[in-house]
Amino acid sequence: MALVRAGGALAVVGWVIAFVPIAGAEMQRLDESALAEISGQSGISVEVELGMTADRISYLDDGKAVQLEGFRVGSAEDPEGRAYHLIMVDIGDDAALNLDYLIEDRRIEFGDVRLAGAPGLSMGGVFFDHNLQGEFSLRSDGAHGGGGYTFDSAYTMTGGRLGYRTNGNEVFLDGITMNVEALGVTLDVVDDVLQLRAPRVVGSWEVGAVRFSGNPLNHGVSTDSGTGTLLPSYGGFAGHYDLTSATDIQAGGRNGQGLRIDNQTEIHSASFLYKDDGNVLALRDMTGHYGINDLRFDVTTDWQGRESLGLTLGALEGELFIGGIEMGAAGKSLGQVNARFVVGDSVFNNERYGNAVYLQGGGNADAGAQGLRLATEWSLKSADLSYSEDGNRVIFSGLQSWGRGDMTVDVTREEVRNGTQFYDGLRIGFEGIRAGYRLNGLRIGSDDAQLQGGTELLLALGIYPAYEFELDGQLTLGPGGAQGEGITVNSDIRISNGRAAIIAAPYDEGNGEISQQGLWISELDYDGHLRGMTVDVNGEGLSIVKGEAWSSMDVGNLRVGDKLSGASFGRFVLQKYERDSSMLLSPGGAGTVCAGGVGASELACESTGGIWEERGGEGMTVTIKQILARAVSDDKKNAFVWETGRKLDANGVPANGTGTRLVLNDIYTGDGVDADGNGLNDNSFGIQTDLAIDVYQTRVVKKQSGADSQGVIGNRGDEKIMDPSAPAGYRYVPDPGETELVNRPLGFAVQANSRFKELSINNIDLVHPSGGAETLVYGVKMQNFDIRANLTATPIP
Amino acid sequence: MKTYLRASCLVMLSIFFVAKPVVAELSPISDRGLSEVSGQGGIYLSGDISINELGGPIENAYFGRCDNTEKKCGARFAYRLKENGGWMVLDDIRGNFAFEGLTLRIRKVDSGFGGDGEIFDRDVVELGLPNTVRFNDVQFNMAGSSTARPTDPGFQQTDIFSVEMQGSVVMEGNLLVFPVGNP
Repeated sequence: MALVRAGGALAVVGWVIAFVPIAGAEMQRLDESALAEISGQSGISVEVELGMTADRISYLDDGKAVQLEGFRVGSAEDPEGRAYHLIMVDIGDDAALNLDYLIEDRRIEFGDVRLAGAPGLSMGGVFFDHNLQGEFSLRSDGAHGGGGYTFDSAYTMTGGRLGYRTNGNEVFLDGITMNVEALGVTLDVVDDVLQLRAPRVVGSWEVGAVRFSGNPLNHGVSTDSGTGTLLPSYGGFAGHYDLTSATDIQAGGRNGQGLRIDNQTEIHSASFLYKDDGNVLALRDMTGHYGINDLRFDVTTDWQGRESLGLTLGALEGELFIGGIEMGAAGKSLGQVNARFVVGDSVFNNERYGNAVYLQGGGNADAGAQGLRLATEWSLKSADLSYSEDGNRVIFSGLQSWGRGDMTVDVTREEVRNGTQFYDGLRIGFEGIRAGYRLNGLRIGSDDAQLQGGTELLLALGIYPAYEFELDGQLTLGPGGAQGEGITVNSDIRISNGRAAIIAAPYDEGNGEISQQGLWISELDYDGHLRGMTVDVNGEGLSIVKGEAWSSMDVGNLRVGDKLSGASFGRFVLQKYERDSSMLLSPGGAGTVCAGGVGASELACESTGGIWEERGGEGMTVTIKQILARAVSDDKKNAFVWETGRKLDANGVPANGTGTRLVLNDIYTGDGVDADGNGLNDNSFGIQTDLAIDVYQTRVVKKQSGADSQGVIGNRGDEKIMDPSAPAGYRYVPDPGETELVNRPLGFAVQANSRFKELSINNIDLVHPSGGAETLVYGVKMQNFDIRANLTATPIP
Repeated sequence: MKTYLRASCLVMLSIFFVAKPVVAELSPISDRGLSEVSGQGGIYLSGDISINELGGPIENAYFGRCDNTEKKCGARFAYRLKENGGWMVLDDIRGNFAFEGLTLRIRKVDSGFGGDGEIFDRDVVELGLPNTVRFNDVQFNMAGSSTARPTDPGFQQTDIFSVEMQGSVVMEGNLLVFPVGNP
C-alpha cells in the first residue's frame, strides 16, 4: 500500500514539475530539521537532484512533426549541474492529496524548435529559469461529480528568467517574481472535452528588467561574461490580476489531428506597469472579459504551403476597460480607455480574411539560421474605442482592420550580415504585408448616440481615419533609452500602394457597406528611416527623441470622393529630414482656458467675447520640437513638390515627372545665430509646439435658419443642445439656460502654441518636364513667430 | 522655355481660377438639402488664433517683447525674387482673430443649385465659412530690405506702408474646392 501511495505521489509530483509555473537563486535549501517544522507532514518526502537532457522531443500531428532539440532540465547557474526538488506528500483526512514543494535553481530549455518538413530552419531557443515554492491539494469530484478532480494551488516564484535566443543573441525577462493563488479549480471530462474551471485566480507579478545580450558567450546570465557589467535593459514590468476563467480542451485540429481550445475569462481587476529607471507608466483599474472560440493548434502548412505550427482562431470577442493611464512623477492620468472588439472571419475589399498565425523557422533570411517567421492573417470585424476624461466620452466607432503577410522576429546585434545592416535588439521584420483599417465615425457620450463625422480629428495625433497599404521593412527595439533604461529604435519602413484618408465619411451609415467618400492620399509610396530614436518614461511623461530621421512620402494623387476613382488635385511629394527632434507626452490638458477671447479671469475673458472654460485635470499635453535640418543629399532634406498636368501613360495613368512641378526646396529651421562659432547657423530651437488636448463641451451655433441635415429646425444663431429625448438626439435653443448649457455638444478642445526663431526655404522653383527648372523665389526667411490658438473641433452629422 | 513655364503656370493656377467661376454660378443649397447627400460628416471648428501677442522667441538688438517699445515684437516674413537681390518683407506681424463655425467636409454635389448641381455632379471639399470673424489689433508693415535678417551686416530697410485691422468681417457661404484638368 505504501508503495502504491508513493507511486501515485510521484506521478503527481511529475505533474507539478511539468505544469506548475516557476522561480529563485536567493532561496536556501531546507535541512532535515527545518523540514520537520513544516506542519502536517505525516506523509513522505521526496528529494530529487534533477538533471535531464534529450536530443529531441517530437510532437506528431497527421504525420507532421514539431521537434524540440537540445532539451534540458537542470541547474540554471551551472550548465552541468542539477536542479533541486523537494516534494512533501501527504494524504489528508478527506483523502485529498496534499503537496508542499520547493524547487531551486531550475532551468528548462531547448536550443532549437524545428519543423520536420522544413529542414535547416530553426525558430530559435527558449530558456526558463526559476525557484518555486508552493502548495498543491488535489481531491476527487469535479464540477460534475465523481468523475473529475478539484484542486487548489498556490505558489511563489522568484529569481525567474524567460529568454529567447537566436544566432547567439538573447532577449530575456530577468528577475521575475510571481505570486499565484487558484482555489477550487475543477477538472472534468465531459463528452470528450476536458473542462477546466477556475472560479478565481489571483496573482501578482514583476519583471525586474528586460535585458539584451549580443555576446554569444552569454547565456541566461544578467551580467556580461566579458565585462562583468549588467546587461542593458529595456526597463521592467509589474502587474496584478484577479480572474475567473473556464477553458475547454479537446482533441482535433483544423485539419485532422491537433488541439482545440475554447475559453471564457472575466477580468475582475488588473493592472500593468512599465518601469523605466524608477519612473512608471501605469495602466490601472482594468476590468473586462473575453471569449476565445475555436482556437486550434495544428502542425500544418500556411496559405503558401510552407511547413508551420498553425494557430487558427474561429472568433474572439471581448471588452477591456482601463480606468486610468498614469505617467509622470505626479501620477496624473490621461483619462480612461474602453475597447470593445469582435475578431472573426470577414470580407474586406472582396477578399475573405481570417485569423491565424503560422509559426515557421528562419526569421529574416540574412540574420542567420535561427529566427521566427510568423505568416499572419487577421480580421477585426468591428471594434469601438472610447476615450474619456473628466467625465466626457468620445467613441471612435466601427474600427475594422484586416491584413495578411509575413512578420519575422530575430534577436540581432549591430553588424552587417549577408549584406544587411542589423542593430542591437529585438528585430521585427515586415515582408509583403497587405493590410488596412478604417473607422466608421464618432459617437459622442454613449454607445447608441448618433454616428457622426469627425474621425479626421485623429490627424492631430498622426493617425489617418482610414488607411490601406503594403508594408515592408523592419523595426528593431534595442535596450537603453536616452539615459539608463528605456528603448532605442532603429527602423526602415517602406509603404507602397497606400491609400490614406485625410477626411473620411462613414463606410456604413446603417444600410450596409458603401463606398467610403473622403479626401484621400492615394497611390502613396512612403520610405522612412529612424536611427537612434529613444523612448523613455521620465518624471514628466513619455519622452521620445528621434535621433536622425528621414523620409519621403510620394502621394501619386490627392483624390476627393472615392479613394480609387475620385478626381485628383495632382501629385504631392513631402520629404523630411530631422535631427534630434523630440516629443513629450504628458498627462493633463489645458486646465483653465479663455476660448475665443483674451483674459486671465472669467470676467476679463467674457468682456472680450470669450468663453471661460474649466477643462479639468485629465487630458493630455504633447510637447513637440521639430528640428528641420539643412539638406545633405537628395534623400536627406526637407522639401515639398506639387506636380500637375502629367501625361497619361498607355494605361491612362498619370506618369510622374511628366507634368509641371512646384518645388519648395531645402526647408530648414535655425536659431539665426552662430553661438558656438563653428561658422554655421545654430539649429537647436527648431519648431516648438505645445498641444493641450481635452474632450470638452463646446458652443455650436446654427448657421442658417430652417431645417438642418437631420431635419431639426432652428434659427440662425440658435445653439445646439444635446437632448437624448429629442428624435435626433439634439435640438436648437435660442437662448440656453444654465441647465441647457451643461449639455452642449462634446468635441476636442486644443490649446496650441507653436513658435520658431527661423524657418527658411532655400528656393522655390517651377520645373517643366522639358523646359527645366526656373527659380521663382530665391529664398524665404520667416523669423520670430509665436502662434497661439484655442480651437474646439466638434464632429457634425 | 519661358513659354513652357507660362503654360505650366496656367495649368496649375487653373485649378484655382477655373474653380471660382464654376462655384460662382451655383446657388446656395439648404442644410435640409444636404440630408439627401450621402457621406455627410465633418468637423465644426471654433476658436481664436493670435500671432506674437506678447512677442516672439527671439530677443536681440531688433526683436524684443511687446512691452519694450524700442524693439519690434512681431513676426517677420522675407522673400526675394531675384538672385542676390533685395528682400520684400512683411514685418512686425501681430494680431488676433477669432471665429465660430468654420466647417470642413467632403460633399458630393449632384442636385440642387437650381438644376446646376445635377450637371456639376462631382465631389468637392467644402469649407463652410464662419459667419463672423473678429479681428483684434491685426497689423503688419510692408517693407523692402537689403538683408533677410535685420541683424545681418549692412541691414537697411525701407518701410512702404502699414496695415492695421480691427473689427469684424462677415464671411458667409461655402467655399467649394475641387480639381479640374489633368492631375
